[in-house]
Amino acid sequence: MNLLETFRTGLDAVLTHRLRSVLTVLGITIGIAAVILTVGLGEGAQQQVGSEISALGSNLLTVTPGSATSSTGIRGGIGTASTLTVGDAAALASKVVAPDINAVAPATSVQETLVAGTQNWTTTVVGTDPAWLTVRGRSMAEGRFLVAQDLASRADVVVLGATTAQELFGVRDPVGQTVDVAGRPLTVIGVLQPVGSSSAASTAANPDDQAVLPLTTASALLFSGASRNAVSQILVQATSAATLSAAYQETDAELLNLHRVATPAQADFTITSEQQVLSTATSVDRTLTVLLGGIAGISLVVGGIGVMNIMLVSVTERIREIGLRKALGATPRVIRRQFLVEASVLGTVGGVLGALLGIAGALVLPHLISNPIAVSPAAAAAAVAVAVALGVAFGVYPADRAARLEPIDALRTE
Amino acid sequence: MSDEGPAAPDLRSDETAEVVVDRTAPHPIVGVPVIEVAGVWKTYRSGSLEVDALRGVDLCVDRGEYVAVMGPSGSGKSTLMHILGCLDVPTAGTFRLAGDDVRSMSEEDLAQVRNRRIGFVFQQFNLLATLSAWRNVELPLLYAGIERAERRRRSLASLERVGLADRVDHRPGELSGGQQQRVAMARALVTDPDLILADEPTGNLDSVSAGDVLALLADLHRSGRTVVLITHDTEVAAAADRVVRIRDGRILAGAPVGAREVR
Repeated sequence: MNLLETFRTGLDAVLTHRLRSVLTVLGITIGIAAVILTVGLGEGAQQQVGSEISALGSNLLTVTPGSATSSTGIRGGIGTASTLTVGDAAALASKVVAPDINAVAPATSVQETLVAGTQNWTTTVVGTDPAWLTVRGRSMAEGRFLVAQDLASRADVVVLGATTAQELFGVRDPVGQTVDVAGRPLTVIGVLQPVGSSSAASTAANPDDQAVLPLTTASALLFSGASRNAVSQILVQATSAATLSAAYQETDAELLNLHRVATPAQADFTITSEQQVLSTATSVDRTLTVLLGGIAGISLVVGGIGVMNIMLVSVTERIREIGLRKALGATPRVIRRQFLVEASVLGTVGGVLGALLGIAGALVLPHLISNPIAVSPAAAAAAVAVAVALGVAFGVYPADRAARLEPIDALRTE
Repeated sequence: MSDEGPAAPDLRSDETAEVVVDRTAPHPIVGVPVIEVAGVWKTYRSGSLEVDALRGVDLCVDRGEYVAVMGPSGSGKSTLMHILGCLDVPTAGTFRLAGDDVRSMSEEDLAQVRNRRIGFVFQQFNLLATLSAWRNVELPLLYAGIERAERRRRSLASLERVGLADRVDHRPGELSGGQQQRVAMARALVTDPDLILADEPTGNLDSVSAGDVLALLADLHRSGRTVVLITHDTEVAAAADRVVRIRDGRILAGAPVGAREVR
């Protein structure tokens, strides 16, 4: 009996026991669809985080005061010493010193309560310069951002994040209104375009909830004494993601030089890149994908056991048929093949339907939930291959049982 | 002892005439009986209990014979039928089917012997309910590796032989019991086997259908086939031209088995 005939016989049996076949296929279908959707969900999240972080600037370096380890071996926490100054930022902005640096923005932030009329709102107040907008990759929703003149004149102006503006002014137009910060009335000159809070991984605070003032104004208003020239961070933007490491080295060398530190081990500042944040976020997402994939994998195994279960029932139910076929000259090999074909047909049909269902789900679901789902054709093909393999693997035992039935025992069964 | 059977009178002479012709045609080894059972024991083991279903059976059936094996239930006739049908192998003793010792055969060989040399007719018909009549008949040819067009041609010819040419596409459920048994007979015939083994073929049939089936067996015998009929029914056994009685696993009496058997 050739393979085509074996296949036809197996297919016949699948088609004859329609309800049973449909239910078995359903198990595999759900398993495969679950795998495709969960893996797609994980990959989608990974891509989304990646693109959001790169929009924020994957070419961004953040310099913070303090070092990992001091010369005496005592670890100084990041930000515990105020060793960075506006002068450092100005030096880094020089194209001669650092050709791979596009823009530099010194920044100092503090939590403060803003008052507008009867509304109070506590938020992050950032003192910085006009380069902040570029470096942070932000844009204005309305009004204008800080200009050099605001810093020079210590202008009493403030730019609000979208959430902050909403909290303080509700539906009213905030531009031109007055906000009291630490007792000084500041004029709102603009509102930042919201970026959404889903990329919280990159900045601890909600990027839409902050108030930005000129660094000089903030220093005079919120910070006193020696720390007037100090900043809590310097944001450095490389000319591109490719030149990030060059920009890193230039920043490092320049600051070591300015601070007169002989060896990098004694540096009184720390440079971190968004790339590091990106890789951390990506690895978190990867863990999630593995977790979800694992759950989906278990549902696949359950589907496979379903196939085995049904095939075993099928063998038991068809003992007479198997006995008759053997009496008529079917060899154990032919019987084994017939049942393997049945199992793999169930697996294949389930796999293909599952892939279609998964892809359909990937197209429809993102409209219902906010998460994007990325389905790669390779993953779908692999899922189908797994389904076929499941069908065969879990069909082996029942097929073997069928093949080993004694024809007389089989025929005797009433 | 089977002379009273309906088809019996002309069978004797027929048999002697046919045997000579038949022996020379498919099997060149002249004088080799289709069935040659010598000292066959079959012991079943259920738990610690051993049951001897057959206790030293000797039986010889020549080409072209029509033999009935008759006995009450529990006599061992079904076990004998299983051994004759190569569905089971003896615990002791020898069984030669057309000269070939079954005990030395592998499972694959046995399957091939069942496929090519034996046609089974069962009490329960044993048709596959999901297949049409001709698809049932073609099954042995399928396992013999014959291509589809030829299978269909031979299946249809076989169904015509049993008088069901107009029922080829009917499923077993759409046929009467007698018709189903005739489909089963067509299936037994389709490979042109050395031996037709019928196990209580009339057991589930009304007397009219039973008569049809017996007439068909007689007709097959008349055309030169070797038929072994297993039954507990004296009337049915009477259709054969030799009756072998079996009881408690031993052959009681029968037609003289002849010098050939005692070797």
